[in-house]
Amino acid sequence: MNTRLSKLFLFLTGLLLLLVATACSTRYKPEISLVTDSLLASEAEQMLWQKSEREQRTIERNGLIYTDAQLESYLNQVVARLMPETVPADLVIRISVIKSPYLNAFAYPNGMIYIHSGLLARMDNEAQLAAVLAHEMVHCIHRHALRAFREYRNQPAYLIAVQQALLKTKGLQKLAHSMGVTGAMAAISGYARELEAEADRIGFEWVLRAGYNPKEALALFDQMLSDLAQDGCEEPFYFGSHPQIRQRADNLQNLSLPVMIDTSAPNKSSHAFFAQLDQLLLANARLDIRLGRFQVARESVEKYLSIKPDDTRAYFLLGEIHRQRGLCSDVQTALDYYGRAIRLDPSFAAPHKAIGLIHYKKGQHALAKKFFESCLQLSPNSPDKAYIKGYLKRCTLSEES
Amino acid sequence: MKRLLWFSLLICAVSFLACAHNGGLNRPASYGYKVDIPEGWRQIDNNRYFLLTKDNPFKQYILVQNRPIGKSFRHTKKKMRTTMLPEEAAQIVVDELISDQNLVNLKLLNNTPEKINGYDGFKILYTYQDAEGHTFKTLYYGFIKDDTFFNLRFTASDRFHFQRDIEAFRIMLRSFEIVKAETA
Repeated sequence: MNTRLSKLFLFLTGLLLLLVATACSTRYKPEISLVTDSLLASEAEQMLWQKSEREQRTIERNGLIYTDAQLESYLNQVVARLMPETVPADLVIRISVIKSPYLNAFAYPNGMIYIHSGLLARMDNEAQLAAVLAHEMVHCIHRHALRAFREYRNQPAYLIAVQQALLKTKGLQKLAHSMGVTGAMAAISGYARELEAEADRIGFEWVLRAGYNPKEALALFDQMLSDLAQDGCEEPFYFGSHPQIRQRADNLQNLSLPVMIDTSAPNKSSHAFFAQLDQLLLANARLDIRLGRFQVARESVEKYLSIKPDDTRAYFLLGEIHRQRGLCSDVQTALDYYGRAIRLDPSFAAPHKAIGLIHYKKGQHALAKKFFESCLQLSPNSPDKAYIKGYLKRCTLSEES
Repeated sequence: MKRLLWFSLLICAVSFLACAHNGGLNRPASYGYKVDIPEGWRQIDNNRYFLLTKDNPFKQYILVQNRPIGKSFRHTKKKMRTTMLPEEAAQIVVDELISDQNLVNLKLLNNTPEKINGYDGFKILYTYQDAEGHTFKTLYYGFIKDDTFFNLRFTASDRFHFQRDIEAFRIMLRSFEIVKAETA
C-alpha cells in the first residue's frame, strides 16, 4: 500500500513538474540548456508527452472542444506562417479550440495548443492571434515544460499547492479536472518570468518575420485588463494574473520594432479575421449570455454582424441580450431585434416565442397568443413546448374571462 | 490518491452522520417552510442548507433552499426577479449549472413547468459527472414566491439509488409548505 502510494505520488509529482515547466514558472535558471542531458530529458519528456496525450483525450471526451474544421484549418495556417525553420524532430504543432468564454490559451509539451473561444472572440485581427499563438509555440518548441519540470522536480509541495489553487480558480475547474495537473499548470499559472519573457521575445521575432505587427497584441492586453477590472478579478487569464498581464504588456512594449515594417501584410483586416471566426462569435456570445455578461456578448454579436449583416440568429441573440438583461428600457429594443430576425427569416421559431413572452408578461394575452401559436406551428417539437402550451392555455382563459 | 480521496469523503460523511437527526421530523418553520422528513432519512446539521440523506450524501441527498431573489449565483451574473416566469427562473438555473465548471458532461434531460404544492414552478432533470468521473442524476424543482426562490432537489449517485429513493423525495415534496417565518 505504502509503496503503491509512493509510486503514485512520485508519478503525479513528475506530471505536475512537467506541466509547470510547459506553462510558465518562477525559478527558472536561464543558463540551463535545452534538453542536453539527453537520457534524463528524454525519459522525462516521454513521460510528459504520454501524460499530455492522456489529458488531451480526456478534454475531448468531456466535450470541451469546439469543432469547426474550417476554423482549425485557418488557425493551423497561421501557425504554419509563424513556424521557425528549426523545430525539434517529431514535434507537430496543432491548434484546437475549447468552448469556454474565459480568456485563455495554453500549450502542452507535445505541441498541442488550446485556445479558448472566449479569447478568440475578443481578438480584433490576425496579428493578435499570431502574437498569442507564437508565444505558446515558443513554450512548445523551446521545451519550456521540460525545463520547468527539471527545475521543480524537487519541489512537489509547491506544485501541489499550485494545483490546488488552480482547481479553485473560477471558470477553470472543469478544464483543470479534465486536463490534470500538467495542463492546469500550463493553462493558468504559466511559466517562470524568465521563460515567459523568452516566449515574448522569441515570439515577437517570429510574429515580425511572418509579416505581422507584434504590437497589435498590446490592444489585446488592454482589452484583457479592462475585462479583468470589469469582472472583479474573477477571470482566469492565460497570462496567470493581473500583474503578469502588465508584465507581458511591458515586455512587448519594450521590444523594438524594426524601422521598416511591412504594413501591407494581408492580416490587418478585422473584417477578414471575423470572417474566419464566423460561427464561433455567436457560439461564444451564447456562453457569455449564460454567464450574464451581456456587454461582452453584444460585442461578439456585433463583430459577427459586421461580416454577416443579415443573419437572423445574430439579431435574435441581440434581442435575447436585451430581454434577459431585464431593464425597462430594453424591452422595445428587444422587440425591434426580434422583429428584424423574423423579417429576415419568418420560419425561425425562437423570436416568435420571445416576442410572445414579452407580450405575455405585459398582460397582452391576445398578442402573446398569436406569437406562441406561430412558434409552435414553426417548431411543433420544440423542447420548451410544455411551457408554451401552458402560456397558450392561460391566454385562452384570459380571453374567455 | 483516489483511495485517500474516498477515505476523506467517508470521514466527512461519517462526521455528517454523527450529527444528524433521524427521519419523521418536520423542518422547523423558522426557515419559512416546512417539510416532512421521509422515514429512514437523516437531516444533516448545516446552518446554511437543509440537507437530508438516507445512506450518506455521496449516495443520495435531498437539498432544500430558500434564497433571496437578489442573491447572486456562483457562476452566472444573472439574478432572479420577482416578475420572472417559472421558465425564466429555470433558465437561470440551467445557465448556472452549465456555467459551473465542477459539473462535467452536464446533460439536461428535461425542463418543464410544474406545480409545487400549488405554486407555479419548474422541474429540471439532468445528469452530470464530478471530477472523479462519477455520474449523478438530479431532479430539481423550483419556484419564486414573493422575494424568495425556493428550490428542492434530489440527487443520487447511480440509477439504483435514484430509482429506490425518488419516491421518498416525491413524498417529501408533497409535504412542502411555505409558512410564516417564526421569530426568535
